Amino acid sequence: MRLLTVLLRKELLATFGSPIAYTVAAVFLLVLGYTFSLTLFATKVANLLYIFHQMYVLTILLVPALTMRAFAEERRTDTLELLLTAPVGEVWIVLAKFMAVLALVLAVYAGTLSYALILEAYGSPDWGPVNSGYLALLCHASLVVAIGLLMSSLTENQVVAAALTLGTCLMLWFADSMSYLLPPPFDSLAINLSLIGHFKPMVSGSVFVSDIGYFVTLSVLALFLTTRRLAER
Amino acid sequence: MTDRSASPEAVHAAVVARGVTKRYGATLALDALDLEIRRGEVFGLLGPNGSGKTTFLRLLSGYLLPTTGRLDICGHDAVRDSIEARRRIGYVPESAPVYGNMRVHEFLTFMAQLRGMPKREVGTAVDRVVEALKLGAVVDKPARTLSRGYRQRTAIAQALVHDPEILILDEPTNGLDPRQIIEIRTLIQGLAGRHTVLMSSHVLGEVARTADRVAVLLEGRLLGVRAIADTPDLEAWFLSLA
Repeated sequence: MRLLTVLLRKELLATFGSPIAYTVAAVFLLVLGYTFSLTLFATKVANLLYIFHQMYVLTILLVPALTMRAFAEERRTDTLELLLTAPVGEVWIVLAKFMAVLALVLAVYAGTLSYALILEAYGSPDWGPVNSGYLALLCHASLVVAIGLLMSSLTENQVVAAALTLGTCLMLWFADSMSYLLPPPFDSLAINLSLIGHFKPMVSGSVFVSDIGYFVTLSVLALFLTTRRLAER
Repeated sequence: MTDRSASPEAVHAAVVARGVTKRYGATLALDALDLEIRRGEVFGLLGPNGSGKTTFLRLLSGYLLPTTGRLDICGHDAVRDSIEARRRIGYVPESAPVYGNMRVHEFLTFMAQLRGMPKREVGTAVDRVVEALKLGAVVDKPARTLSRGYRQRTAIAQALVHDPEILILDEPTNGLDPRQIIEIRTLIQGLAGRHTVLMSSHVLGEVARTADRVAVLLEGRLLGVRAIADTPDLEAWFLSLA
């Protein structure tokens, strides 16, 4: 546990000290602020459903820029040799990077809590879907970050890592569209792999264990594969 | 149950390699290497670029694992008992990597903590290597601003901060000016006895001036091992092998 703390401190320093982090956060909040204002004035409805969907899309588009450096940069600068020759299990290295990037994404998400407070001040929002929406976003961010780390562990090139993450997330998003073309049981598999299929119910206020299980399982799988990739020497 | 016990020779030697082979796909980087390195000696690995020196040092450091064969580090199997083996080494890769976003003091503290040093000993250990490597002038500077010489010294400091039994240096004088080369050479000689030092080089004179014994590698094969004291003409010996 002490090693995890040491590694996490180092990763937080690198993540929050990077200009990429602030650029991503600024773009994320600027776009959301703009849409929130537009939606609120246009619909005059006190809910955040539209904003949550936009956060879902922006997470897929912007998080690859945060995860692409994780291992690709360490490989390029040879600092990965320092980490992997220290008496530390690979799992702690992966967990520290995962927690640091997730902390940054959650910090950006926290900025959007002001929208909920504005709705509360001027209307009567239903807090159930707001809470489940943030739970859905937490699950979603965990998965995208985990996939981003896996892709970063596969290549030395940051742009390739970001492109692979984006591509994988988009494929998962649209996985259910493939189901019409596939024979059983692969059609069900495609439907169940769909990212949006598990995000939508939760963000609308219906929290199912199966949906949470989907995000947890895929996140753990991606982190496991990242650990295996580092252990391949 | 996994057999982690070391052979009697492995307990007394710093490094014992038996039939160590490393393949990268179809490429044979190291071919059934047998080698024993004694505790406290400065051991040089000599060979041209691509001869397998860096691969062997990376195997010793734990960054790579052998495809076949057995490698013992201070009596610990480098594969089955990897964490314990890694505890006993300090490693400086050829590019002397440092975390550019950290200050030198922060970097050394991080590396000491990463190597599992008790919290109360970290400060003293960092001060010790800062003094030994003459890093006082740059200790508060970001590592990315260091000159090549200071960067190399910082990289050696991180490898020594936990007082390892074995120090592994990959081409430690590469890219340094003559004064810096002399300083690093003096430092390595000063470490002998207390630490086992393994260094690679493709410069014969460098190994001759620094090492107690030298091994010659070519195309992944070990061609010979000699004590420097018994080899008055290292160049002639090298040419007779290569």
